[in-house]
Amino acid sequence: MQNSESTTINVAETKKETKGKAPLLAAPMATSSAVVETKGGYKKGIAIFDFILRLCAIAATLAATVAMGTTEQTLPFFTQFFQFQASYDDFLTFQFFVIANAIVTGYLVLSIPFSIVCIVRPHATGPRLLLIIFDIVMVALATAAASSAAAIVYLAHNGNSSANWNAICQQFTDFCQSVSGAVVGSFVAVVIFVFLVVLSAFALRKN
Amino acid sequence: MKASGALELGEAPKGSTPKSVANRGISILDFILRLIAIIGTLGSAIAMGTTDETLPFVTQFNRFRAKYDDLPMFTFFVVANSIVSAYLVLSLALSIFHILRSGAKGSRIILIFFDTAMLVLLTAGASAAAAIVYLAHKGNAKANWFAICQQFNSFCERISGALIGSFGGILVFVLLILLSAVALSRR
Repeated sequence: MQNSESTTINVAETKKETKGKAPLLAAPMATSSAVVETKGGYKKGIAIFDFILRLCAIAATLAATVAMGTTEQTLPFFTQFFQFQASYDDFLTFQFFVIANAIVTGYLVLSIPFSIVCIVRPHATGPRLLLIIFDIVMVALATAAASSAAAIVYLAHNGNSSANWNAICQQFTDFCQSVSGAVVGSFVAVVIFVFLVVLSAFALRKN
Repeated sequence: MKASGALELGEAPKGSTPKSVANRGISILDFILRLIAIIGTLGSAIAMGTTDETLPFVTQFNRFRAKYDDLPMFTFFVVANSIVSAYLVLSLALSIFHILRSGAKGSRIILIFFDTAMLVLLTAGASAAAAIVYLAHKGNAKANWFAICQQFNSFCERISGALIGSFGGILVFVLLILLSAVALSRR
């Protein structure tokens, strides 16, 4: 009896299955496409925000590069120093700062098309993964340049009595100001990069 | 019947697809890299923090003793490396959780956020110390900054060596964030 019941149930099931296969298959597809459309919305928003952040980061790093690269101050009077001219290429660290920020600016400009591709196609993981890989490397490069320049700027402002290093900012005030401003701009770009990495990671999730 | 029905609908049994095996491999590699980074950053913090050299003779300097906290950048270096080591030890727990459960997405994003923040901190400490180490080796004639390495040899060697572990830690962190991003996108 149970067998016959089960067979009838089987037959009924297969009939229902053949009848219901199309709705069964269509139902998950309908929900998944609906899910895809609503979730595509947030990915597109993230991609647009990513694009805007990239533009801000370009502005910040370009400003930092230009500010550091065009600093030069010649003192009009004779001081206790042998040199009374200060330029960014007197310090190797500042040269590294200018070069690194130039590289970062160039990379950001080149990554704008990929960012646009991510806006147009929110579900493509290829360009997003490429962007996050290079963003991580650029975070490290930008932070290295910004913090090594910050170390030299700190020394220039405060000097160090233990190592007998004088605070040159007391003589070269304009040089110090523009160099400090460049370092600040570079740190702003670093913060933006951290946001870019986290946003890309958030948008990479496969749902 | 239910099982065959489930198979008809195309559900695969969990834990045996090549994708999940690859995700588990990524999580294990993540754990191993974290261990390497702990060794690197902890070694750097200790190497820099235990520097102390006293010269036996009087020189043109007022001071003939060099310690890491004579320079605030080195103090920042030690502090940053210590914070990063502590964070890595704490994040080992989350890494083990990812090995056991490869499908967790929210925790991976939190891990990526904190890994990026720690990468920035570590790079800042390492490159500030590297700038000062370069100055200590070469000096700067234009700013009249003397190269202190010419007097303090073992201090100089110690601070230069401490940088290596830290920069290795930076490389490992870049790989860690990359691995987490790849694991996120492969689900």
